[in-house]
Amino acid sequence: MKRMSILIIVLVALVTSCAAPEPEVKGTFIDGVSGGDAETLNWLLAADATSHSYAGMCFDSLATYDNDWNVHLRHLAQPVEISDDGLTYTVTIRDDLKWSDGTPVTAEDYVYTLKNLMFSDWLNYAYQTDWQEEVEGEMVFVEVEAVDETTSVIRRQTVDPEFVDNAIYVLTPYPKHIAMKYEGDLEAFTEAEEFNNLTYTGNLGPYRFKEWIRNDKFVVERNPDFYLGQETGAPYFEEYTTKLFGSSAAMLAALEAGDIQNCGIEPEQVAKFKQMEGIKVYTVPTRAYDLVVYNLRNNGWEGLQNKAVRQALSMCIDKQTFVDQIRFGFADPAFSFIPKPSPWYTEEGVTQFGIGDLYDKEAAKEMLLEAGYGIRESDGSITIHDGDGEPIQLTLVTTTGSKLTEDMSLFMKQELGEIGIEVDFKLVPWPTQLRQYMMNKVPGSDEEPNYNNGPDAVSEEPWDMMALAFNTHPIAPSGSRVFFITDGGLNFWGYSNERVDELFLEVRSEKALDPEVRKQMYAEISQLIADDQPANFLSFPSSNQGFQANVEGIDPGMRLGWNHHEWYFSEP
Amino acid sequence: MKRGGLQNYIIRRLFYAFLIAFGVVTVTFILLRIGPSSPADKYLANISARTQDPAAVVEAVESRYGLDKPIHEQYFNFLVNMARGDWGWSFSTSLPVIELIQRHWVYSFQLILLSMLFASSLGLLIGIYSAVKQYTKTDYIATFFSFIGISIPNFWLGIMLILVFSVQLGWFKTYYDTGLPMFSLANLKALILPVITLGTGMMAGYTRYARSATLENLRKDFVKTARAKGLPEHVVIGKHVLRNAILPIITIVMFDLAGVVFGGAYLTEIIFGIPGLGRVSFNAIFANDYPVVITITLIGAMVVLLTNLATDIVYTWLDPRIRYD
Repeated sequence: MKRMSILIIVLVALVTSCAAPEPEVKGTFIDGVSGGDAETLNWLLAADATSHSYAGMCFDSLATYDNDWNVHLRHLAQPVEISDDGLTYTVTIRDDLKWSDGTPVTAEDYVYTLKNLMFSDWLNYAYQTDWQEEVEGEMVFVEVEAVDETTSVIRRQTVDPEFVDNAIYVLTPYPKHIAMKYEGDLEAFTEAEEFNNLTYTGNLGPYRFKEWIRNDKFVVERNPDFYLGQETGAPYFEEYTTKLFGSSAAMLAALEAGDIQNCGIEPEQVAKFKQMEGIKVYTVPTRAYDLVVYNLRNNGWEGLQNKAVRQALSMCIDKQTFVDQIRFGFADPAFSFIPKPSPWYTEEGVTQFGIGDLYDKEAAKEMLLEAGYGIRESDGSITIHDGDGEPIQLTLVTTTGSKLTEDMSLFMKQELGEIGIEVDFKLVPWPTQLRQYMMNKVPGSDEEPNYNNGPDAVSEEPWDMMALAFNTHPIAPSGSRVFFITDGGLNFWGYSNERVDELFLEVRSEKALDPEVRKQMYAEISQLIADDQPANFLSFPSSNQGFQANVEGIDPGMRLGWNHHEWYFSEP
Repeated sequence: MKRGGLQNYIIRRLFYAFLIAFGVVTVTFILLRIGPSSPADKYLANISARTQDPAAVVEAVESRYGLDKPIHEQYFNFLVNMARGDWGWSFSTSLPVIELIQRHWVYSFQLILLSMLFASSLGLLIGIYSAVKQYTKTDYIATFFSFIGISIPNFWLGIMLILVFSVQLGWFKTYYDTGLPMFSLANLKALILPVITLGTGMMAGYTRYARSATLENLRKDFVKTARAKGLPEHVVIGKHVLRNAILPIITIVMFDLAGVVFGGAYLTEIIFGIPGLGRVSFNAIFANDYPVVITITLIGAMVVLLTNLATDIVYTWLDPRIRYD
């Protein structure tokens, strides 16, 4: 018996010593970032993702998602109740949320933030349309009302199954009793000390604002009152610093030297960092995709208006080689605008140009010949030319200073060159690309240039192809309709397909309340766009994140960092 | 030199400086506002993943910053506010422009000051020594390293220094730590690599200038006379040669100073993560944050004008033959 007891004790000791160490509060986590700084912590005025990410360290939103798109409640006390008709949303927040001065956060704060700030004329909130719906041809705001201290109700007149993901879950309130002081005065609101220094955030987030040195670092310190940390003790870092680097070489040196705990690693450096003992590297999918769009407007090459020609061009581009050589293997071939980890992603019925049998230059030449852009020589070979018998020359526009899009352009030139199509580059600064190539208007009209002034509008400068990289909201991809519907605000390339227009409308209607139906709609959209090939989707890139080996609690995935308040150091 | 003559000269130069400042503000404002960029451009990156109408977003942003008003109205408002001491609000950093400059100038200043001291003192010493020991091994070695110093790009040198001294040897942090007290040995230590990076090229240049200016003066009659009088060599060099050789070098140092303030320190700031005015101004340019760009351009212009004026005044002190009346 005694021996047995000793054995049990030894086994227990062994098991506990092998288990992951218990999180304890210590140290400073430094997150290296190579990019631009945030603009403001006064998040209603922010345009950039960095501003939202900085401010988001100090307050949560109503809910968030994990890597599998499960919803995790944050400021919500219970899941948002959606009425059977999909028009009424009941939002109940926790009753233990407090502003810094101790006053409770109430439903009225949320309602005030929406009605008096976000919907107001004086503030010019840039993303108002997230909270608008089209009723009888007019854009109107949704109705919002506080029912009691913690409950508010949002009423819509039209159904939008993605409204909860696009708008409600990401909502954060401003404190009404402070914001009222600045109401109606944009300058005062913009310069308000409380909002620019996040002095009001109370127990709403894992950290409290400490210091922000522009172009250098953003520092937050542990919030001992964090509403989610009362039982677990989270967050576990004394401080969390976002350190900006002007060059990725310096940032990677800092990771290697152990001066920072985390940063993104460029694909070509991943192998080196994977060999380092003190570093662990996670490869995670992103919401981005890169593509080459075809100009379907009247100032693009006429052949591009022919679907078979676009398909033939896309059949000449080897996506696997693109992934292997340009993306160093850290990407998946893309055939749609919906990223692979999205619940709406499907490959079923989606034509996969540029892969397998559909990467075939000879078949592409046959298609071009059939479309009238080639001639069969006496030896049976096909020579590609335009309608006048001249070699086809296409202009590919891309942004200066982007190595990726330059590499994409070179790859396109090389691939299309092999079937006798010449590709000329136009490398232009981003503002020039926006204004001279993407904005358009009907020739001779007095209208202001815009990104989509109708089917007859053309850009100031002619172009045929454009190398770009876009993002899609994986859980609510219908936002991408701006690119794909006929009157989409960013449909600068002139794509039009009636059925695609209908589906993008339906996906935000009561027909799509059933997720299975919505999935079928997205599948059909993907299939139609893949078949039409208004753009050649090239790849879904992954991101490589390097961490010091002593950082624990990481849940690698597309939403890496969704649980960052649970990260901790396993040793000093 | 007559005291009144110099005073008048300074007043005249300051008046010109005011006119130039006005011109700089006007030209910079017009160029920035008629250019194709807009602060709203960056919103488009977010729109692709949202449900927005880009035209409405651009309109909202431009209206918020007053950019939808006629350009002459914007210019007039800008001038009036400037005259009142309100240099505008930096919409890319959410700070008053003056506060932004006040927070960041010191990082550039300490880097530039130490780099200039490092470069000019070592450059002068090596250059003069090299001239005195002309065509010796020491001279050849100094010349060799001067050419290397001039040829090495700042960016490459900075990265190499980080890899060797920070990553491999662990002597320094890989980036500049803004949390260090300004007047501390730790801060001085943190600035060693950035100062070497920024100062090496300048030092190499000063070495060449100092060598050639010293050689030129060593051949002058007054040096021969001084030597004939039996003065010790260090007195000949220190009192007679150096005083004459230093004048052209001061001009070059002052021009370099202006160049560095205008953005020459930018790459060093980028490599070592120093949040100085170089980074502030470049980020402001890319963000179309025109109040910041105009203010920093104006400061750069003022530095050039005032350093030129200071150089002229120093000339009169070093060489009493120079007069401005």
